[in-house]
Amino acid sequence: MKRNRNKQILGYCFILPAVIYMIALIGYPIVYNWIISFQDATALTLKDSNRAFVGLANFRAIFADKTFWGAMAHTFIYTIGCLVIQFALGFAFALFFAKKFSFSKPIRGFIVISWMLPVTVTALVFKFMLAQDSGIINTILMNLHIIKEPIGWLLKGNTAMFGLIMANSWVGIPFNMLLLTTGINNIPEDIYEAASIDGASKFQQFKNITVPLLKPTILSALVLGFVLTFKVFDLVYVMTGGGPVDATEVLSTYSYKLSFQLFKFGEGAACANVLFVCLLIVALIYLRTISADEEV
Amino acid sequence: MKTKKRMSNRKKNIICNIAAVIIACVFLFPLYWIVINSFKLDSEIFLRKPTLWPHTFTLQAYIDQLPNLKVTLKNSIIIALGSMAIALVLSVPAAYGLAKFKVKGTKIFILIFLITQMLPASLVLTPLFLTFSKMKLLNTYLAPILSTATISIPFTVLMLRPGFLSLPDELMEAAEIDGCSRLRAFFEIVIPIAKPTVITAACFSFVFAWNDLAYSMTFNTKDSMRPMTSAIYTFMNQYGTKWNSIMAYGVLLIIPSVVIFVTMQRHIVEGMTSGSVKG
Repeated sequence: MKRNRNKQILGYCFILPAVIYMIALIGYPIVYNWIISFQDATALTLKDSNRAFVGLANFRAIFADKTFWGAMAHTFIYTIGCLVIQFALGFAFALFFAKKFSFSKPIRGFIVISWMLPVTVTALVFKFMLAQDSGIINTILMNLHIIKEPIGWLLKGNTAMFGLIMANSWVGIPFNMLLLTTGINNIPEDIYEAASIDGASKFQQFKNITVPLLKPTILSALVLGFVLTFKVFDLVYVMTGGGPVDATEVLSTYSYKLSFQLFKFGEGAACANVLFVCLLIVALIYLRTISADEEV
Repeated sequence: MKTKKRMSNRKKNIICNIAAVIIACVFLFPLYWIVINSFKLDSEIFLRKPTLWPHTFTLQAYIDQLPNLKVTLKNSIIIALGSMAIALVLSVPAAYGLAKFKVKGTKIFILIFLITQMLPASLVLTPLFLTFSKMKLLNTYLAPILSTATISIPFTVLMLRPGFLSLPDELMEAAEIDGCSRLRAFFEIVIPIAKPTVITAACFSFVFAWNDLAYSMTFNTKDSMRPMTSAIYTFMNQYGTKWNSIMAYGVLLIIPSVVIFVTMQRHIVEGMTSGSVKG
């Protein structure tokens, strides 16, 4: 018995430091963020230890703010746009590279590199490629006679959002591809063999074998993709800064702007809390799907 | 009949390979564009038709940035190494503990890591800024080091755990019978066996901290304390169209990820799926 207790204690010594670190630097700040969002926290009161509580004033202020609702809408448009493109192309890539040809594995592995690059650099190179003058994308489109005049992609709301979605998908496609590849590799080959002996076409095999068997993987790819995309900050901040005229402002950049450019820390915290609630809902759905999928 | 089938298989192989190479070229074009433009002159960047290969190949953009780089490169390295050290010291034992000691609450601890991994920096920026400002940690290395470690700890714990789970229990028992304490067994048996995954974890931690913009930019606003990511952002705001200099900075920023990726690609791809998906 004693040995078992010692083992338990040693186990906690291994585990708890990391848990405590995360609670101190993420858990506590989240709680503190809720407190700030009910306080009169501005540049003037920053150093006060007893900031006045103002009830729901900060939330009322952002809910009355058109830019906030714009940011909310943009966050959803951006997330859904990215999810559709990332998932569709990621799935296509996964299916293609699941074929057995000599370069399939090395090239699939190589594509993943875009996921590891600093988002700051990704944002900058896409900004450069989308530039109105001397941007390579305008040049290509003009050479193909798709457009006549160079477009100022990041200078107009709709096209700027499209540019952001494109840049993010560049990072998201390999991520979706990898998740789905793992799922595809887990499907036993003989199911396909049996199906093709029975005369099922490639499309029927895809519809009736691949998709149903991949359902858990597809679900987690979509939910995880949602969470990772919804919280976007660096990409938008660097590429458009939320502009032109707030047209690509998302919840995280708006919260940042409120806190660190306008020094309305209370409102910035309130805005971040809205983001938190949205993420939490989706995260809980995700945890339910994976715990139903497999025992942790 | 048989040779015919083999022929068609070979044909299919060739077609697929060509398609894959084309996909890779298109997909990785932005990477090429970063590198190639960093070797161009200002005047060539502003040509109406961008050139796919520099007319004059020059290191001017890098030389222009040297004074900046001395400071910011040093800051980036200090922050990334510090963050990596914290992440490793905390997450390797935690992953092992969660895999091999059946303590009460294991599920809840894993859940904590799963959830904290999904939460974005923007959520804790305001409270951490206020806390760090009270503790006088703003514009020190400690602020970005402490905060970026929170990105890699959950990831590496979740990434390392499956590997530790697959270690046979007998190994530890044998060590114990030989009179080796569990703690010593961890350092002398477990760590050496798990070395490849621990190195992968170290690489991820380094890259996560190196790539961070949000934390470093918010906490360290003095030029002398900025890492490269926030320096390149500041530079872009000041000299928006000096793309060759911006891309030169970009090349230096992507070097660690590219080097690590190329040398240990297989481990990275595996680690990425287990670290970001399941516990």
